[in-house]
Amino acid sequence: MSDAQFDAALDLLRRLNPTKLQENLNNLIELQPNLAQDLLSSVDVPLSIRKDPTDSNREYLCCDYNRDIDSFRSPWSNTYFPELSSEDSQDSPFPSTPLRQVEILANDSFDIYRDLYYEGGISSVYFWDLNEEEFDGHDFAGVVLFKKNQSDHSNWDSIHVFEVTASPSSSDTFNYRVTTTIILHLDKTNYDHDSQMMLSGNLTRQTEKDIGVDMSRPLEIISTSHVANLGSLIEDIESQMRNLLETVYFEKTRDIFHQTKNAAIASSAEETNKDAHAEVIKGLQSL
Amino acid sequence: MSSSKFEEVINKIINDSPPGELREVYDDLIKITSENSKNTILDAIENYNVQNCIPIEVNGNSVIISKYNKEGAKFFDPVNSVIFSVNHLERKGLDIEPYEFTHAKIEKGQLKELHDKLHEYLLQSFPGDVSFAVYPVPEEISKISIIIVSTKYNPNNFWNGHWRSSYIYDLETRELSGQISTQVHYYEDGNVSFQSGKDINQSNVDDVVCTIRDIETNFENDLDLSFFDLNEKQFKALRRRLPVTRSKINWGSAIGSYRLGKNAAEGK
Repeated sequence: MSDAQFDAALDLLRRLNPTKLQENLNNLIELQPNLAQDLLSSVDVPLSIRKDPTDSNREYLCCDYNRDIDSFRSPWSNTYFPELSSEDSQDSPFPSTPLRQVEILANDSFDIYRDLYYEGGISSVYFWDLNEEEFDGHDFAGVVLFKKNQSDHSNWDSIHVFEVTASPSSSDTFNYRVTTTIILHLDKTNYDHDSQMMLSGNLTRQTEKDIGVDMSRPLEIISTSHVANLGSLIEDIESQMRNLLETVYFEKTRDIFHQTKNAAIASSAEETNKDAHAEVIKGLQSL
Repeated sequence: MSSSKFEEVINKIINDSPPGELREVYDDLIKITSENSKNTILDAIENYNVQNCIPIEVNGNSVIISKYNKEGAKFFDPVNSVIFSVNHLERKGLDIEPYEFTHAKIEKGQLKELHDKLHEYLLQSFPGDVSFAVYPVPEEISKISIIIVSTKYNPNNFWNGHWRSSYIYDLETRELSGQISTQVHYYEDGNVSFQSGKDINQSNVDDVVCTIRDIETNFENDLDLSFFDLNEKQFKALRRRLPVTRSKINWGSAIGSYRLGKNAAEGK
């Protein structure tokens, strides 16, 4: 695989019908199997849902970040389902014990956030260590996920992949870097009127912020600060993205549609069409 | 991969492409596969252009190609009386030759009148780059095909818009049937697609242009309502702008108090 091939594949996925993203991804991998690993790890697809049998079948979200072989780790019990053989699970990725404590806190906090903003839906948070040693309040990474379905006709997936790293210049400052993708699908199909309408797709934004954390405090306090910083950063990003989605979906696409068809065009349009008009007249005269 | 499977995958990808971006899709596919797949991709694009009634530039005129004006491997233009081959990637006419076409059912005067009325309607309702056609339907001499295409391509600002409506009008039964199909692609920092369409079936149509105008104006008005509706109902139900408290969350160790508050309110 070359970089040019990978870039071309990403460009294609930005052009092809976003409702068939998974299908197009599979087709591209079929055409060029070398692209499989890179594409699967860098293209966000709608999140799937699994149930945790050890926690009253509580639902959790799945993506490439909590996958091992064909199983997905639950944030509630820290177990992979379907359960892996003891041999397989020895090599499965888990956060270090102190980082898992922060992951539990983050899941709890974002679950409250989900309830307040989504009034339903599912959230899941997965962390992973960035250093060889156990988590000591410094560098770590993770993904924060939200999904909300309203019947088959609307679906929202938020995927925030982040990295928290100590700033090289100051030992008490951390750099929070978040890449957010929101996949939003809305449709309004009316079989009685033989009409269909669909607004669907995804938008991606990257955000970066430096925030100070008092490293002289106990690890538990430091961890709470990290979760609070991530929380308010993601809250801000989602608010901005929600505005952006609203503008693009309901204003921008509608404006563009009316640039192709508009029953109320003013006389100015006749000006631009004058040349075309002259052509047609010329053509008709030769009939 | 077998060559038939390869063709199938290429066809699926081409058929899924937005009308204004076939050139870019072609370039990407060549990079991902190789120059060897050129002919397979070009065949798929040819098929796409005919199926989707794509306008072709022929001697400075915009001529819609379709199964209705296909003559062997060439296409004819009854207005300018020419027949031409097509470079499907560039959307340009080649080997342009004179061609006399006489409609079995409509006289020239009648056809001209229909053209003029259609053109007048299009000027009033389609601000994009507009092309239209009135073609005979092969082997069904009482039927004519009416096709309208309006495009606005703006790749510099990462968006493209496309309207197509195509109808079959039966001059004897006075029935009009067809489809409206419209799409918008917006791809700045993402990939957002708007698609809408409607099937049309109408009987007792005397003034075909007037009927098409009414159908299309209603379609447009309905769409504006649907945009409003999707925003007000479905979108708003997915995620709130702010929590019920109307203020942002107080993160940190006290966040659990939201849950305590909620449980207390629900009497848990």
